[in-house]
Amino acid sequence: MSLLFRLAVMLIVLFPIAVVVVGQKHTNARDTLRAAVQRTGRWALWLVALVLTMEVLGVVFIGW
Amino acid sequence: MATRIDIDPARGLGWGTFLSGFVPGLLQLRLGQTNLALFAFASCTALFFAGWSMVHERLFYWVLLDAGTPAGGGSSIVRTLAQFGLPTVLPELMNLPANALGALLSWDASPTGERLWRMPRDGEHVGGFLTAASGMLAMFWSAAGHWELRRRRDGGKAPPKPIADPALCAALSWLVPGLGHARAGQKDKGIVMGLSVAFVFALGLFFSHGHACDRATYSVWWMAQNLFGGGSLFAALVTGPWQMESAPEHLQLGVVLCTVAGLMNLVVMVDAFTVAERSAFPVKPAVEDVS
Repeated sequence: MSLLFRLAVMLIVLFPIAVVVVGQKHTNARDTLRAAVQRTGRWALWLVALVLTMEVLGVVFIGW
Repeated sequence: MATRIDIDPARGLGWGTFLSGFVPGLLQLRLGQTNLALFAFASCTALFFAGWSMVHERLFYWVLLDAGTPAGGGSSIVRTLAQFGLPTVLPELMNLPANALGALLSWDASPTGERLWRMPRDGEHVGGFLTAASGMLAMFWSAAGHWELRRRRDGGKAPPKPIADPALCAALSWLVPGLGHARAGQKDKGIVMGLSVAFVFALGLFFSHGHACDRATYSVWWMAQNLFGGGSLFAALVTGPWQMESAPEHLQLGVVLCTVAGLMNLVVMVDAFTVAERSAFPVKPAVEDVS
């Protein structure tokens, strides 16, 4: 499975998970979706940081 | 609507009440709801044995802990408990009496008996779903009993009525994610949350060519997948019986996605319960709001 494919699936799945997570703090769909978009963006940034860290560690310890 | 700020909503009802929840109807009996107690017990028992009649000792193959002989890698303690149905067959364990009786009726300590655990049965997908559904139903009856006990304890002389029964909202969300929210007055939020769960589950089935949600093959993963009852019912009826000629490339991804969908629906169920619960017992205002 290529890294690109895994990232694409991860990004697609992050949003519905964010909807369920933030939905607990809101009472209607509009607020839930707005908060889920923000939460997905934040998670995506963490995801990119995590992947980059893992890739750097891979290069350092395993090689190019 | 009652707003009593002297109530600690996190205060539990004690171990006795918690353990009573494992016997369907016992909490309703304690509440003086005799007819409801009988109905709860009968519905859970009937559902369990409807499924058990198809799977019998196959349930031992789906336990979380290996109930095999010590020589085969199992534990003697687990094996002793297994004949009473006590190793974690989730969610059947929630329906303790029927699960124990089913285990006692089908236990065979001989090597032949153990071989039978591994033998696929006709209709085992539906049978496995029904026994599991009995455990989930027992859990919802237990939640209903806990809710009524809490309502009487915290509601004072005139216990407040919620917009909908919280346990019913959770049960509806188990079958159709979001339906419990609709019942509790948050229809549009329920639709969004429900579609989210259904989408992730469908994605899992898509990547696995329909084989991700299969109790016979992925019994441990299935325990979490079954938290989305509507999805696992669909899989039991439609995709589960499909023959797998060769493993799809993204089978494991599909299994994980269906499991994630089940765990997402656990959050949806709890939230549906909470929404209905708070219609009767609103959250205590923050300290700064009180002043």
